[in-house]
Amino acid sequence: MPTISDLVHNGAIVKIDVELAPHDQPLRLLYGTPQFVAWLREVLDGAQPDQLLGHSSIAEQIDDLFYSFLSGEQLIFTRQFRAVRAEENAVWELKTPDVRIFGWFMAKDCFVAVFGNWADTIKDHDLYRGYRIAIRRLRRELGIDATLCVKGVAPDDVLSV
Amino acid sequence: MTFFRFDIDTRSRLAGRFIGRVRRELLKAIVEEKQGGLTQQELARRLETRRSDINRQLSGEAEITLRSLADLAWALDREVTVELRRPDTATGQNIAPATSTIGYQPVRIIARKAPND
Repeated sequence: MPTISDLVHNGAIVKIDVELAPHDQPLRLLYGTPQFVAWLREVLDGAQPDQLLGHSSIAEQIDDLFYSFLSGEQLIFTRQFRAVRAEENAVWELKTPDVRIFGWFMAKDCFVAVFGNWADTIKDHDLYRGYRIAIRRLRRELGIDATLCVKGVAPDDVLSV
Repeated sequence: MTFFRFDIDTRSRLAGRFIGRVRRELLKAIVEEKQGGLTQQELARRLETRRSDINRQLSGEAEITLRSLADLAWALDREVTVELRRPDTATGQNIAPATSTIGYQPVRIIARKAPND
């Protein structure tokens, strides 16, 4: 039964952070798969959708989302995060105006990001089901479906405020 | 690789987090008022605008001007506080670097050191 530390050491997940403000302390944990980190690198290199809905760049939106998450700010349920489907061991979605990030909570306040994509692309091609199935498969392959996965789908099952 | 820092330049970071904070404050106020029975429809009625316009502002798909921020605050029975202050720096705090090392824009060399310096 792998631990979070095992997953980091064998390269299955990578710890992600952003610059915090002087008075902030990291109150939550954020990890990503290597594939997700590769997508973040593309964003840092300037990747963006054809049409930008938000009034900040993609990188700015993601930085703000990660900052809010890591510094322990209150995230607004359904506007900024939600379970893709109400089911045990749910897949969760983090949201900015132009970006959707899919993953799951290994524990309360501890999220693993697996897929990132443009909001418009996901809606146009209805990618929710595919991402949900792929994430469930990944958890099974890692052998953590029953251990490192929050079961509830209520906001306070996954985030403390 | 066991660690990745999503690092953008300071100017972008400040802008993105400011825009995000304004939106979050509005959303938090709306969630609080919703518990008291305020609907977005009622909010739109108070502001004499369309619900879809408010929804687009709250989702970040439409810009929130200073005027619309003030109007939303009024409709939510809130006051807006604005303060510009110098960054805090003191021993023992997180020190944000003045320039990004991995920023998504190419790194600009401000003053290249001469070979004989």
